[in-house]
Amino acid sequence: MASKAHVQDNSVSERRLRPIYEWLDSGNNKKALQECDKVLKKTPNLLCAKALKALSVLRMGRESECTNILDALVAENPADDATLQAMTLCYRELQQQEKICGLYETAIKIDPSNEEFHTHLFMSYVRIGDFKLQQQSAMNLYKLKPKNPYYCWAVMSVIQQATRGPGKKDAKKRVVLLSLAERMIDKLITENKLEAEQEVQLYLMVLELQDKIEEALQVFNGPLGAKLICATADTYKLPYLIKLRRWAEVNLVCKGILMDSVDRWDIWKEYINSVFQLMSTELHLNNHHVENHNNGENDLENVDDTPEKAHEFICRLVENGADNGYLLRGPYLARFELCSKLIKQGIDSTDLLGETIELFIEYFRKFGHKPCCVSDLRVYLYLLDSERKSELSNRLIKDVGISSTSVPQSEQQMQRHLCSLQLSRLCGSHRNLSADHLAALVTAFSLHYQHGYQTYGLNLLSTDQGPSDAYAILAAHILYDLAQLTKSSKPIITALVLLESLLKNSPCSFNAKLLCVRLFHAIGAGLGAHQMYENLDIKHLQMDSLGYMHCARLPTTGLLSLTTTLLDTTLKFFSSNYKDSSDHLTFCYKFGSFIKLDDFMDFREKLNNSFHYTAVAVDRIILNIVQCNSTENLYNSNILPKDNKIDWDKLRDNHDLSVYVSWDPERADGPPENSKEVEDLFKQNVQFLKLRTHILWALSAAINIVKSHDATKNTCVDTLKDVLKDWEDLYSKTNSTKSVPIKQNIVTLPLPSRLHLHLNYPYLDILGQLFRLIISIATEDTNNCNTVVTDLEKKFEHMLDGVSENIHQQNISEDCLWERRNAMESIVNTVEIICISSILCLLCHDFARPSQGKKSKKKLDSSTRFVLTEISSIIKKAISKLDSCLETWKTSNEYDLADRLALLNLSADGQNSVLEDIKNSHITAVKELRTLLKSKTKLLNSVSG
Amino acid sequence: MTTLRPFTCNDMYRFNNVNLDPLTETYGLSFYMQYLAHWPEYFQVAESPSGEIMGYIMGKAEGHGENWHGHVTALTVSPDYRRLGLAAILMNFLEDVSEKKRAYFVDLFVRVSNKVAINMYTNLGYIVYRTVLEYYSGDPDEDAYDMRKACSRDVKQKSVIPLNHPVRPEDVE
Repeated sequence: MASKAHVQDNSVSERRLRPIYEWLDSGNNKKALQECDKVLKKTPNLLCAKALKALSVLRMGRESECTNILDALVAENPADDATLQAMTLCYRELQQQEKICGLYETAIKIDPSNEEFHTHLFMSYVRIGDFKLQQQSAMNLYKLKPKNPYYCWAVMSVIQQATRGPGKKDAKKRVVLLSLAERMIDKLITENKLEAEQEVQLYLMVLELQDKIEEALQVFNGPLGAKLICATADTYKLPYLIKLRRWAEVNLVCKGILMDSVDRWDIWKEYINSVFQLMSTELHLNNHHVENHNNGENDLENVDDTPEKAHEFICRLVENGADNGYLLRGPYLARFELCSKLIKQGIDSTDLLGETIELFIEYFRKFGHKPCCVSDLRVYLYLLDSERKSELSNRLIKDVGISSTSVPQSEQQMQRHLCSLQLSRLCGSHRNLSADHLAALVTAFSLHYQHGYQTYGLNLLSTDQGPSDAYAILAAHILYDLAQLTKSSKPIITALVLLESLLKNSPCSFNAKLLCVRLFHAIGAGLGAHQMYENLDIKHLQMDSLGYMHCARLPTTGLLSLTTTLLDTTLKFFSSNYKDSSDHLTFCYKFGSFIKLDDFMDFREKLNNSFHYTAVAVDRIILNIVQCNSTENLYNSNILPKDNKIDWDKLRDNHDLSVYVSWDPERADGPPENSKEVEDLFKQNVQFLKLRTHILWALSAAINIVKSHDATKNTCVDTLKDVLKDWEDLYSKTNSTKSVPIKQNIVTLPLPSRLHLHLNYPYLDILGQLFRLIISIATEDTNNCNTVVTDLEKKFEHMLDGVSENIHQQNISEDCLWERRNAMESIVNTVEIICISSILCLLCHDFARPSQGKKSKKKLDSSTRFVLTEISSIIKKAISKLDSCLETWKTSNEYDLADRLALLNLSADGQNSVLEDIKNSHITAVKELRTLLKSKTKLLNSVSG
Repeated sequence: MTTLRPFTCNDMYRFNNVNLDPLTETYGLSFYMQYLAHWPEYFQVAESPSGEIMGYIMGKAEGHGENWHGHVTALTVSPDYRRLGLAAILMNFLEDVSEKKRAYFVDLFVRVSNKVAINMYTNLGYIVYRTVLEYYSGDPDEDAYDMRKACSRDVKQKSVIPLNHPVRPEDVE
């Protein structure tokens, strides 16, 4: 009956609701709410208006009000699409996707033949990843409307159970489920119903997962193969043939593709591999083809099963050569692949290919004028021993013919020069040079940069990269080497001046900007780094892949307000994308792109388990606590990062370190992400994050004690005790591993982990003591409180002595910037400890206050109060000492690099702007930290008062 | 020298050296995911022998009747890998897919100021079909050329008879 009434006034209510949708779409939630109330006055039972009201209040931040409306709505069993949609939105934004399922389960009971509801129900199961229920609801849907896509949804849901559900850990279940999936599709096939390309892809997927490769291959010979139109049959078949180790066929298919497109690198590699596979199998003995070499006419019949034949094939393609106007690198690089295979097999490659080094020289002569020549050859540098590498380095430089007194005569020659210099650095030629020698290289490259800019770079578009930019980048890298060698910040500043001058000429050089961010952070100048970072326009997923270079460093710079903003922006990205990413899974079903589902699910996990995400979440909460100015705020804020759902074992390093161009010899060993240093760094970072998260767990437990009743208090106390125990264990475990900061000799690798300075500061000593004090007060066991006070006094004094020594060293140092980053990070650690201590002191005070009506504690009041007053004055003393240290901290030395810059033909103005950034960074940080400390003194006064 | 393969989600973590270039826009995740889910065959990435992303192409197929066509949404090549014919390889791929889908033509939009790109598309056989006024927002807004190339299905080349008058963005679907 109710539904009939709805039908009748559908158009009326639609008209009334329209403005609400419009307000919501334009983000004007307040107006939307007013409109909802207006509509509800006229039609108080219009469920959709209620649902939209829930959405409006939710978007205004009134979560509990929204939940109340939703709960009331659920009780009314809504079964109209608009209401359900609005409620779905609410649950999505509340991150309660599971409730959407219940919503549609009820709706289907009311309206069992509604196809749309069934679809929504299926998608709601997709969102929460319940594959079994997915399967059931898809089958129900198919029974209702026998459409192929629905059937395939069910098949895919079975596959997911096999690969990601119960079959993931149970091989038997996997087999059963996959064969079920196969039978389900077989049924479609026998009924001649399999139609769409995606459906055939699904079939192939089922076969592949069961390793039924032969069957998969057969698909291409049957009518189903014709439905696969989006890629060529060869592209589909090749991986199957490889899996089946049918090398002769692999060989021929590859040859066929290569003769058409000589630049397909993946195919070249498979081709060469097949040659060696054929060579090593005895099979090829029986595989005698007529030996004929009539210029490859029969290439598609002759299997190449020896390196000689492969070489001939390569040579033939070289001769057929450039047909589209570009000289193609494929066959030339294929020779390196051939050479590398020969060497790996222990076969002398010189008979066939000549001296390996000559391959490099020849390749360089052909392609040295293309920037990609460097990365092409980098892959194969390992074929040369160190002696040969230095020979190569010398010969390349000689080959270009630019001496210390000449300049390139054409843009091409300049590119060849750059290429030779970069390769030569990759060969290690810049290692073990004296400071003077390095400085001379810097001068030469800087002048080359300017010459190149003047000659070839003046009329470029503002969006172009300058043709000679790479000289300046190379010079900046060498300046960093020089800084490491001489332990001086001056070369770093010189590099920044050089890069900033480059950016005036080519404002789009992202390589220069990336390097500047790194260099500014190296000397603790967060503000300079921030300007460059802003300039890079980092957004969306780049916050995860590139956030490490800036966002992860900012919390150590003392630039509190900048840090807050950037952490917030980053967190917003992560949390909103996690919500969206469940939608993306539904897209795959909607469009039938089953082949993408696995990829999408992996990606969702990768994003959500991002180390950076977790670190930012923890940093943000700690910053919040550090800046917290009342216990009220503390009680109301969320202290547990990511709702305490951190899967520590799954945390992943999503950083893109390869974005930094590097010509350090280590780069020839592989991408930086795979290096030992980076692996160590990640371990240290995770350790650091765990330690920091313990602060939050302890604090959360402490707050629960304060909030607890007599009945629950003991459990809360036990929880805190457990956390403290874990924290101590972790501390000693971490200390005992004695991990060392990663080496800083390579400019393109990240800065050391924050772990090391964290361990140097008494986080556990001081905060742990205060947490134990809370336990003492809670358990009314305050006998040893006086020892706690003396202990804390000693610890604070010790910490502050360190700080004042630190700053003293900074002030008397001739090069205070060299240690500035560490000094600032240490100060920030000290400030953190002091601020959190203040909050804990306040928490104790709250707890012991008689006004809370906890009569049993009255006796303790006077003594506890005394202890707390003592502690607060200890902290205040520390604050005032720290404050006076900060007051005396000099910004920077009076630098004068004019002479040095003049050598590089750089103006002194550039120096001033870089030094200005460094200075401002320091002034701002010190100012913000002092303001923060002042607010804590005020706060503590309330305790002693 | 190229490995051409379907774009995967993980490539979004690795395409920074391409996307930090000012002419390439980095979109929100949903944008890429929509394309990956809806037209996976049209989203291809070109990888170098050293495993770096050299460039990628994103496209889709849409339209009804004789307007059924392939569309290039984004085509980009990293600065280090330009002038190697890579854009042509990627475009060829997209055109091939469009042919297989029996599209009538392939089209794309390009800023009228982007001479380099216009020139390249012209060399690949595209013509300026029409001008779309103030298609790119900015200060000031910029016009776009809607460029087209006919597929073999459009035997009479009807899709590539240029319009005489410019159109407004709202007239373009």
